[in-house]
Amino acid sequence: MDYRQTRVISGKGTGAHQFRESLNGIGFDPAGRLYAVGDREVKVFDGEGTLKKRWETQQPPYCVAVRDDGSVFVGEAGQVEMFDQSGNRVGAWEDADRFGTVTSIGFHEDHVLIADAADRCIRRYDKTGKWINDIGKDNNTKGFLIPNGYLDFSVDETGVIHASNSAKHRVERYTLDGELLGFFGHFGMVRPENFPGCCNPTNLTLAGEGKLVVTEKAGPRMKVYDRDRKLLGFVGGDAFHAECKNMDVAVDGQDRIYVVDTVRLSVLVFESEGGSKP
Amino acid sequence: MKKQPTRRDVLGHVVRGTGLLVLGGAAVHLVRRANAEGAWWIDPTKCVNIRLGATGVEVCDLCATDCVLPLSAIRAVNEFSECGRCCICPAYYDVRSEVGPDGLPSRKLCPRDAITREAIGEVDPEDPLNNFYEYTIDEDKCNGCGACVMGCKEPAGLGSIRLEVRYDVCLDCNRCTIAQVCPDDAIVQKAIDLPGA
Ligand code: SF4
Ligand code: SF4
Ligand code: SF4
Repeated sequence: MDYRQTRVISGKGTGAHQFRESLNGIGFDPAGRLYAVGDREVKVFDGEGTLKKRWETQQPPYCVAVRDDGSVFVGEAGQVEMFDQSGNRVGAWEDADRFGTVTSIGFHEDHVLIADAADRCIRRYDKTGKWINDIGKDNNTKGFLIPNGYLDFSVDETGVIHASNSAKHRVERYTLDGELLGFFGHFGMVRPENFPGCCNPTNLTLAGEGKLVVTEKAGPRMKVYDRDRKLLGFVGGDAFHAECKNMDVAVDGQDRIYVVDTVRLSVLVFESEGGSKP
Repeated sequence: MKKQPTRRDVLGHVVRGTGLLVLGGAAVHLVRRANAEGAWWIDPTKCVNIRLGATGVEVCDLCATDCVLPLSAIRAVNEFSECGRCCICPAYYDVRSEVGPDGLPSRKLCPRDAITREAIGEVDPEDPLNNFYEYTIDEDKCNGCGACVMGCKEPAGLGSIRLEVRYDVCLDCNRCTIAQVCPDDAIVQKAIDLPGA
């Protein structure tokens, strides 16, 4: 399956819709608005890529996720900040020990899942912010192996967590209780379905029909796997700046794929050649 | 961006070199030599093997080939505190070589076999991917060819390996022969603050 770039959102600059120094994370709200975090800001774009809102964060943000009720969770160093849809700060979970570097946030039912790249694991909380358990901390490496300093995961509708264990060149599946269910992927520099370099994939998200979308660094690529983890297609070459790494990825309701170019500070939108599925 | 050598870095190198040479009574001479007009130094923001942004380009091996010494005064140095300790290290392995039955690349990158590694922490002998590794460069073998430095550079690695002039062996030539051929003008004389200077 071929994917082509159809749009570019934001970019490096001083305009209101642009980022000056960093663009780290993206996510969607239930209404299909794109949230992008970088510098010290959250920016919200509509389906056309037009900036609708922006507000400041307390710390430089690493990731963003929006819960079904519209609450916006922003991952930072030492804390997770929460905002309402208007950008009003409604609270924060602060825990320097458990939130060293929050690089990914996900939700399942009443649970909030928070990846701490500093301690190399995923934390499970209830909706009030009470810690329940860690995921990946009891595996045979006492945490994910992430030399790239970024831990990303996505949770499916059944509550299975799909997490990148990048130095093992695997995407691993865990239950909410932290039991390892299995994994796919291994190192390889030649065949595109394999994961190259020291540590890939760096980022991932689940898409419609059980698909998995990942990004890699050195050289930067976006790849799409089907439900059985057969490679469906990939984008590489000049699509991203060669120095990109830890490129966050998100998928909208039409299965369009959004990838952060972490050097040009833009969000690239890709659609399959057959068109996106409603 | 790579940091310039601090007084502490330079002192560390000199002290190490001094330890080797002290029986020969060369320590005083060494300090004097490095202080003369400043010492030759590799600017990490210029050297193609080290500087960020130079990816997908040929490795420059002139530091290995153009020093007046038979074994160049330039060495690769791994800053342990910045190393990711990856299993499939792109500076240790030739990651483009065929993958062996153990799932690892079949060839090493260093042409002089100067890099060794040791599993650290809780070692899992069954699965090399479960381990962290400490990578050490044997300075008696390394000639500063730069291959590992380029391999470790961001974004492929973390850039913990860089090239440095070893002041305990550098002759501090008036005109460094590498500086004369360096395509990036990366070898420059720099005032270096040494104890007693
Ligand atoms: S000659 Fe210059 S560019 Fe080449 S390795 Fe030495 S310092 Fe770097
Ligand atoms: S600089 Fe060259 S010789 Fe020295 S350790 Fe690296 S690859 Fe080996
Ligand atoms: S000053 Fe002389 S000994 Fe030192 S690196 Fe240059 S050529 Fe080699």
